[in-house]
Amino acid sequence: MNNSKELNGAQIVLEALKEQEVDTIFGYPGGAVLPIYDAIFGQNFLKHVLVRAEAGAVHAAEGYARSSGQVGVLLVTSGPGATNVVTGLTDALMDSIPIVCITGQVPTHLIGTDAFQECDTTGITRPCTKYNYLVKDVSKLSEVIHEAFEIARSGRPGPVLIDIPKNVQLAKSVYKPRKEISFRPHRIKSGSTDISKEFIENLISHVKKSTKPVLYVGGGCLNSGPKASEELRKFAELTNIPVTTTLHGLGCYPGNGKLSIGMLGMHGTYEANLTMHDCDLMINVGARFDDRITGRLDAFSPDSIKFHFDIDKSSINKNVNVNFSTNTDIAHALSAINNYISSNNIEFNHNQISNWWNQIKEWKSNDCLKYEQGEETIKPQHAISRLNELTKNKDTIVTTEVGQHQMWAAQYFQFNKPNSWITSGGLGTMGFGMPAAIGAQMANPEALVIDIAGEASFLMNIQEIATAVQYKLPIKIFILNNEYMGMVRQWQELMHGSRYSESYVDALPDFVKLAESFHAVGLRAKNVSELDETINEMLSIDRPVIADIWVDKKENVFPMIPSGAAHNEMLLSQYDEEKPENQEKGKVLV
Amino acid sequence: MSDASVYPEPNNTFKQSKRNVLSIIVDNEPGILARIVGLFSGRGYNIEALNVTVVDIKENLSRITLETIGEQKVIGQIIAHLEKLVPVHSAINLADLNESYEAEISLIKIIYENEDQNLKTLALADIYRTRTVTKKDGIVIYEISGTSERVNKFLDDLNGINGIKVEIVRSGPIGLGV
Repeated sequence: MNNSKELNGAQIVLEALKEQEVDTIFGYPGGAVLPIYDAIFGQNFLKHVLVRAEAGAVHAAEGYARSSGQVGVLLVTSGPGATNVVTGLTDALMDSIPIVCITGQVPTHLIGTDAFQECDTTGITRPCTKYNYLVKDVSKLSEVIHEAFEIARSGRPGPVLIDIPKNVQLAKSVYKPRKEISFRPHRIKSGSTDISKEFIENLISHVKKSTKPVLYVGGGCLNSGPKASEELRKFAELTNIPVTTTLHGLGCYPGNGKLSIGMLGMHGTYEANLTMHDCDLMINVGARFDDRITGRLDAFSPDSIKFHFDIDKSSINKNVNVNFSTNTDIAHALSAINNYISSNNIEFNHNQISNWWNQIKEWKSNDCLKYEQGEETIKPQHAISRLNELTKNKDTIVTTEVGQHQMWAAQYFQFNKPNSWITSGGLGTMGFGMPAAIGAQMANPEALVIDIAGEASFLMNIQEIATAVQYKLPIKIFILNNEYMGMVRQWQELMHGSRYSESYVDALPDFVKLAESFHAVGLRAKNVSELDETINEMLSIDRPVIADIWVDKKENVFPMIPSGAAHNEMLLSQYDEEKPENQEKGKVLV
Repeated sequence: MSDASVYPEPNNTFKQSKRNVLSIIVDNEPGILARIVGLFSGRGYNIEALNVTVVDIKENLSRITLETIGEQKVIGQIIAHLEKLVPVHSAINLADLNESYEAEISLIKIIYENEDQNLKTLALADIYRTRTVTKKDGIVIYEISGTSERVNKFLDDLNGINGIKVEIVRSGPIGLGV
C-alpha cells in the first residue's frame, strides 16, 4: 500500500490486525464500534465470529489462543460490551493467556459526561489486564496496536485492552507499519533467554545428589511453546525423574509417558502428592505454588531443596521460599541445560533413585482413581474414561467448564501433548468451556473439540450454541448431568454437615430438545448400557452435539486434600473414615 | 557554602526508622498513578505519603516516591509487581540501600492571638532555622525542610504553645540513594 495514504482509525485497526496475521476475531457489534464493523465489511483476510454475548467472545479468544499458541483477538462495544468481558479478561490474566481486546468508547468530547453506553473501561479493566490503553489520538493508533500484541505475548503472557473512542475510529492518519516502530524494551519486558552457568551447575549437582527427586510442571511450560515440552521430556528421560503436572501443565509431559505420576494438588493422585511431600529435590518448571497445589503451606514438601523456573519474578518466593530460581524462558533454560548435559557427557545414575521409584510404584498400587461402576447408573468417572478410550486415535482438544466434571476430566482423560487441554484454572470461571471450544475449533478446524461440561456451568453461556451452529463448528458438549452444582454440593457435604444450601439445580431444561431448538443435535444416555453407543454417535455427527449424560448424583471427586490440610492428609474415597483434622480451619479457606 | 555533608557518616534514615519508602521511575502517562496505587489498595495497604513529579522532560519520565507500612514480604511482592507494570522503568525500596538520603518540605501557617504566642513561635522558628514565607496581621507562614523526623519535631514543639492555630501541608518524604 501507499505509505502516505491516509486511513481512518477503523481502517488502521484492520491494517494492523492484518500485519499481525490475525485471521479470526470474535466479537459483538454496538454503537461505539460501528466504524470498525464497517471496515470489517467487505474485506476478506479476517473472519469475524459473531458471538451471542460478549462473555462468549472473550472465552472464545482464550480458547483460540490456548489451542494455537497465537494471540486471541476480540472486538466489543463500549459500556455493557466492555463490562461483559471483565470476567474473561480476569480469567486470561490469572491463566496467563495472550489476548487483545478492542473496545469501542464514546467520542472523546463525551467522555466523562455519562453519555449513552459510556463506562470508564480503562479504569474498570486496569486490575484485570496486563496493560490497557485509551487511544485519544489517531496518529498513535498503529503503534498502540502493535505494542499491545507485543505486550500480550511477551514475558508472562496476558490480556491487553485497547479502548478506542468512536471519533478516533473515524479520524484520519497515516498507518505506521510494525517494522517502523521501535518498541521500548522496558515496556515489552520480554523474558530473558540466557541462563547462568552457575544455575545449571547447581541444578545438575543437586540432581546427582538427590535420591528422591520430582519434576513439578505447570502452565508456564505450555506458554513457553512446544519446544519447552520437548526439552522437558528430554531432561526427564535423561535423569529418570518422576513428573507430576498441575491442572494447566497436563500434556506438557505425556500422560501415558513412563515417568508420569499424574496430576498433583487438591484432586491430584495419591502418588503425586506423596511424592511431592516426601521428595528431597523439587524442580518446579513453570508452576506457581498455587494454594490448590500446596495445601497447608507449613507442611508443604518440608524436606526438599527447591528449584523454581518462572519467567515472572513476582512468582518467586511468593507462596513458598525456594533455594534456586531463574526467570529465563523455560524453552531456552531447559535447552541450555540439556545441551550442557550432552556437551559435558554428564551421566545420571538411575539406580540411585530406584528405591524412590519402588516407593512411588507402591503408592501407585493403591489405585487412587479406582471407582466401582455398577450395572445401571453411570459413574461420572466411567463416562470420562469411556470418552477417553473411544477418542484415543483422534486429534482431540478438550475444554471444560468448572467443577467436579473438570476434575474428573483432568483425572480420567489422558493428555499426551501440549495445547490439547483448555480449562479455567486460576479464576475458575463457570461458563468458560463452550465458548472456549468454539475458539479452539476455529483455530483447529480438523480437530475433534469436546467441551466436558456440568449442567450448571453449561447454562451460564448456553447462548453460544447458536454461534457454533452458525459457523458449522462441530463441537461436542459432553454434559455430566447430576442436577447439582456438584463441587458446591461436595464441599457442603464435607465441610458444612451435608446442608445442601441452594446447590440443587431445579427446573433444568430438556437438553436434547434444547439442542434441537438451536438446530444442533441432542443425545442422551441414562444408564451405563447406553453410554458407549451415545459417545460413538456423538463422534460420528459432523455438527454441534449436546450429549446429556445422566450420572450418579451423589458421586464426589477423590482423592481430595481438603483446604487447610497437608499433602499426606489426603482423603482417598467417599468411604474414608478419617475426616480432615483441620476441618474448622479449612472452612475459611476456598 | 561548605561542601561538608550534613550527616557525619553514610546514612539511611529510612532504614533506621523502619519506613518503607519506594522510589519508582515511570513513563509520565495517564493512568500510571492509578496502576501503582491499585497494587496497594487491592491488598488493603495504605499509602502514608506520596509524591509524583516529572523529572526528565526529554524522556517524559516521572519519579514517584511513596511511603507505606507493611510486612517486608508483601512489600517485596509489591516491588516485583511494580517492576512488571508496563510503564515502570525501575522500582526500589530506599530502606534497602546502604546509603540513602531523605528530605521533606513543609509549609506551616500559624495564627496567633497575642505577643506571648508570637514570641514563643518566633523562638521555635529560629531554633529550627525555618524560612518566613509571609507574616502579617497575626498570621505567619514558615517553610521548613529536612528529614520527616525534623519536621515532626517542629510540629510537636509548636503543639506546646497554647492557643495558636496551625495549618500544615507536607510534601511527604523524598529520597535518593547514593
